[in-house]
Amino acid sequence: MRIELRDVRHVYSPGTPFAVEALKGVSLTVEPGEVLGVIGGTGSGKSTLVQHLNLLLLPTGGEVLVDGADAVSMDRTALRRRVGLVFQAPEQGLFAPTVEEDVAFAPQRLGLNEEEVRGRVREALGLLGAGHLAGRSPFALSGGERRRVAIAGVLAMGPEVLVLDEPTAGLDPTARGDLMGLVGRLKASGVTVVFVSHDLDEVAEAADRVCALEGGTVRSVGAPDEVFYDDLSLAPATVRVAAAVGERRPGFGRPVRYGETLAALRSLMGGAA
Amino acid sequence: MTAVRGVGQFYPVASPLHALDPRAKVVATALLVVGLFFVDSAAGFVVAGSATALLVGASRVPLRAFLGLLRPVAFIVALTFFFQVFFLREGPTLFGWGFVEVHEGGLEMGLLLAARLLILVTTAGLLTATTAPVALADGIEDLLSPLKRLRFPAHEVAMMMTIALRFIPTLGEEAQKISRAQAARGADFTSGGLLARARALVPILVPLTIGAFRRADELAEAMESRGYRGGHGRVRYRELRFRARDALALLLTILVVLAAVLL
Repeated sequence: MRIELRDVRHVYSPGTPFAVEALKGVSLTVEPGEVLGVIGGTGSGKSTLVQHLNLLLLPTGGEVLVDGADAVSMDRTALRRRVGLVFQAPEQGLFAPTVEEDVAFAPQRLGLNEEEVRGRVREALGLLGAGHLAGRSPFALSGGERRRVAIAGVLAMGPEVLVLDEPTAGLDPTARGDLMGLVGRLKASGVTVVFVSHDLDEVAEAADRVCALEGGTVRSVGAPDEVFYDDLSLAPATVRVAAAVGERRPGFGRPVRYGETLAALRSLMGGAA
Repeated sequence: MTAVRGVGQFYPVASPLHALDPRAKVVATALLVVGLFFVDSAAGFVVAGSATALLVGASRVPLRAFLGLLRPVAFIVALTFFFQVFFLREGPTLFGWGFVEVHEGGLEMGLLLAARLLILVTTAGLLTATTAPVALADGIEDLLSPLKRLRFPAHEVAMMMTIALRFIPTLGEEAQKISRAQAARGADFTSGGLLARARALVPILVPLTIGAFRRADELAEAMESRGYRGGHGRVRYRELRFRARDALALLLTILVVLAAVLL
């Protein structure tokens, strides 16, 4: 499914002294099958933006289109099944006595029979490498494990689009790597992924396209090499190093991922390394 | 980023009522509330009611905020009113219809009770809408401080109040966040019978409770790491000042209450 935001505005507490305009006209398309990375400073509107993708927040102005049709008039419950949203620190929403029951919450709401629910739970936990945790209490797990279980809880709905709001925040490097591996696996199975991150390396590694927000507007959007090389202040350290090298060596290209940068450096050194 | 604004919450605008000393406002509110129970004539309620209306106007808090405050008590007001009207059989009968009889005494009592409840809630709402929670707690601590001699923990009580008030919006925000997260997992809080709805709250209440305990722990640690050791020897950043206008406000309140009670 293609989700299109057209000049979306959002004001919190409109008409009161507490009114805050979090989105000031954002236009952005989430293409089917892509991995879209959303970056931007705190308060730039990232979290507000992603909540418009499944209409947990309704736009104060502008339009949200799903496959070209106005999403606001669609059945919200159905839309929320198709667009899975994982909030920041989703482990705070765990509530059931066991991991299995918690992950089963969403598929049970879909009205599936017991066997299908079990299948979904196994599949979702498997994708996150958390199958062995099924019988444990979610409150007895480590932070990284709880995060994975919570993401499985949304994945078990079988969404077409998975939206992750800072999925790796506060995790150790191994757990981060594991989660970004999940993004790759989801993409391979045809799920569209939108993820918000402050870790530019992560975004460079996983995203097909990058959207940079600033003060509630889109500062730039496009392929990672366009966004990063056009404005190095947004770019991860590897890209800034590569850009500095490229200034001296015109044939260096515009590598974005770690592997590409390494390969470019190797060929620069004449294959000696 | 989400601002949750409940009813009866502090509404930060500049008004003469906001500028008053919290102690004056607490005492004035207490006088009005207690006084209301001794008002028993229509004229008295007209005085109390119009004084409250004037205060609401002077507070520059939009009427909408007060209507929101009155909505939950509307049911109780209506219930009280109907009980008095239909079951109090005093004075001449106004009309009778089968076993339903409405007497003049009942109607009068119903109206008076309804007016008393409405004015009561509005007055309490005025206090919380025009006084910042911290100022309110400071004021109450000050008013209770004579009791410290009787070993009454005035500071601790005020601190607990401040913290409780401070965390109401935080918990509200958290509840909203969790319910959104569960809605994203297909939770539905608005359909089904009473039991189904109560059960639908479990996925919100469990994480909310766990979060509240975690927050309490963190707050205690943060307070201790900043040297909080209870109220003894503690000074204030903002000293309360009782000015002439506060005395005037109290005097006016006393006059209004006296007038309403005596009329």
